[in-house]
Amino acid sequence: MAHQADEKRMLDDRGYTGTLIRGANPLLLFEKPVRDRIVESMYWKEQCFGLNAATLCDRAVELENIGGIYGAAQKPSKFLCLAFKLLQLTPERDIVLHYLRQQEWKYLRALAAFYIRLCWQPKEIFETLEPFLADYRKLKRRAREGFALTYVDQFVDDLLTKDRVCATSLWKLPPRTQLEDLDVLEPRISPLGEELEDIDADRQDGRTEDDSGSDVEVLDDGHGLGNGHDHDNDTDVDGD
Amino acid sequence: MPPLPSRMTKNREQPTRYRPGKAETDEPESEDESEADDEIADEAAPKAPPPKATSFPSKKKLAVDLSKAGQQVTTTPAPPEKPPEDDLEGFVTASEEEEESGSEEGSSDDDDGSAEEDESSDDEPKKPMLRPTFISKAKRGQQGATAAQKTAEDLAAEEEVKRKAKADELLQAQLEREAAAKAAGRRAWDDDAEINPEDEVNDTDDLDPEAERAAWKLRELKRVRRDRMAIEEKEKEREEIERRRNMTVEEREEEDKVYIAAQQEEREGKGQMGFMQKYFHKGAFFGADDTQDEEVKAALTRDMAGAKVADEASDKSVLPEYMRIRDMTQLGRKGRTKYKDLKEEDTGRWGVEGSRKGRGGDGLDERFRPDDRRDGGQEQTGANAMAVGQRRPREENGDGDRSEKRARYD
Repeated sequence: MAHQADEKRMLDDRGYTGTLIRGANPLLLFEKPVRDRIVESMYWKEQCFGLNAATLCDRAVELENIGGIYGAAQKPSKFLCLAFKLLQLTPERDIVLHYLRQQEWKYLRALAAFYIRLCWQPKEIFETLEPFLADYRKLKRRAREGFALTYVDQFVDDLLTKDRVCATSLWKLPPRTQLEDLDVLEPRISPLGEELEDIDADRQDGRTEDDSGSDVEVLDDGHGLGNGHDHDNDTDVDGD
Repeated sequence: MPPLPSRMTKNREQPTRYRPGKAETDEPESEDESEADDEIADEAAPKAPPPKATSFPSKKKLAVDLSKAGQQVTTTPAPPEKPPEDDLEGFVTASEEEEESGSEEGSSDDDDGSAEEDESSDDEPKKPMLRPTFISKAKRGQQGATAAQKTAEDLAAEEEVKRKAKADELLQAQLEREAAAKAAGRRAWDDDAEINPEDEVNDTDDLDPEAERAAWKLRELKRVRRDRMAIEEKEKEREEIERRRNMTVEEREEEDKVYIAAQQEEREGKGQMGFMQKYFHKGAFFGADDTQDEEVKAALTRDMAGAKVADEASDKSVLPEYMRIRDMTQLGRKGRTKYKDLKEEDTGRWGVEGSRKGRGGDGLDERFRPDDRRDGGQEQTGANAMAVGQRRPREENGDGDRSEKRARYD
């Protein structure tokens, strides 16, 4: 087969013999218009051609923002192009885990998280991504117009809860509660852990002392729980 | 610029035909090209100097370097006034020549031409290329005398030096440009440099570790709370179901009534739709929830019913009858038949003028009553409202009438 600079052939479903993700060509995880934009973009054509897992790291460390499609012409972000490349390569589990767990480059971590969310099984997704809800580094997200500030933990949370992130409709993930009911997962232990228990204890005390229902509580800095808490008449809300 | 041909075309003038009986007009007839050009050239010379090589677009004049075509390069301003030596190799202007040799002149018309040459060549960058200029026989002799003073070698040497200097400069400029481009890291696909610096979001970490940690804690707590609320909601739902199951029928109905009354109030509270506004209901399942993409949410929660074209009349009742159309693009189309409303088009008389007297009707709805009573009056509606007319009396003339109709053959 003549070597073609254009990789559109990868998108052709017929005769695809590579790894199947969700039973299909992994590139089909992206929507058609998004795929078209990526494949026609200059970044993809110039920089993403002929990458392998190692050279992809080189590109990924140059990443400066995450994002989907932006602008009037629906230009794909570099993050999206590299994610597309990862789907094309379908690297091994260990490699992806290494991308995720390395500490130095947060955008590479975000990229790996995105890939994991798209390709792996629900149990593995939750187990692998939840530890990174503790990573509070900043990320720059390129929205349709302009930029937004977000955090790694916020991004991971979006991946786990939202339907659509970075111009991709994420594969529907069963909610965590469902998996807990099926005993596939354990209930989540927040990284706050002990502090959370302390706060609970405070709230409990605060309520029993002051039955008029005022919400004034002495808490840690920047705590939103006290303000927004509903006035409950039941006293058995926080059973745990 | 060369003098424009009077006919604004490069086609040659065709000879006018001889038509007997018509007076011949004084037009220039079949002319050769050279003649025409000579004329033009001769006429042009006193008016404006002939085009010089200096007027041709030079490399330097382009603000963008063509060798870098395909990359995004900021347009460097055209290099400002150059000293006369800063030219591409090869071209010298006549004025330069005049400075050096002092005698060559530009056109056959000497004085005018040279004066104008001076002016024009001062505007343009001087090129060291020797432009072939025409010197009439008379002048040739004079010039030959003065040119002899400077030897060919000197000329050549000077030109050589100039060419080298210019080439060096050019190379230097190119190198600088390449270095700048590399430093900026510009690529064709990279438009990050075009970002407005105001829009930039700072994503450096550890600017304020405490604050960042605190923010993270807040987020984490919100997440935990969200999870807990979800559990609580489910619990409440289950409780509610249990409760209703355990209630008796009457209690359920009471609750339902209260709920429906509340709903009615809500509906009344909402305003009426404007007169003849377009109404579009998205459907019952389109709700906005947090998991939706912000763009999808914005697209779905768009205000469709209230959307108006900028200059659409908001209150159509002040418009004349003719303009009271739902879709203003149909104004003026299809004649005056304009379907407005089912109500307007309906020819029936529903509940009109005492048609409903509650005639007993067997306690049935109007639709289900027996339709035996067709003896006129208000029962007949629409097309059937007209009473059947009497038969036209026909004279029975026996066979004579048969002629009116078709002949019958027994």
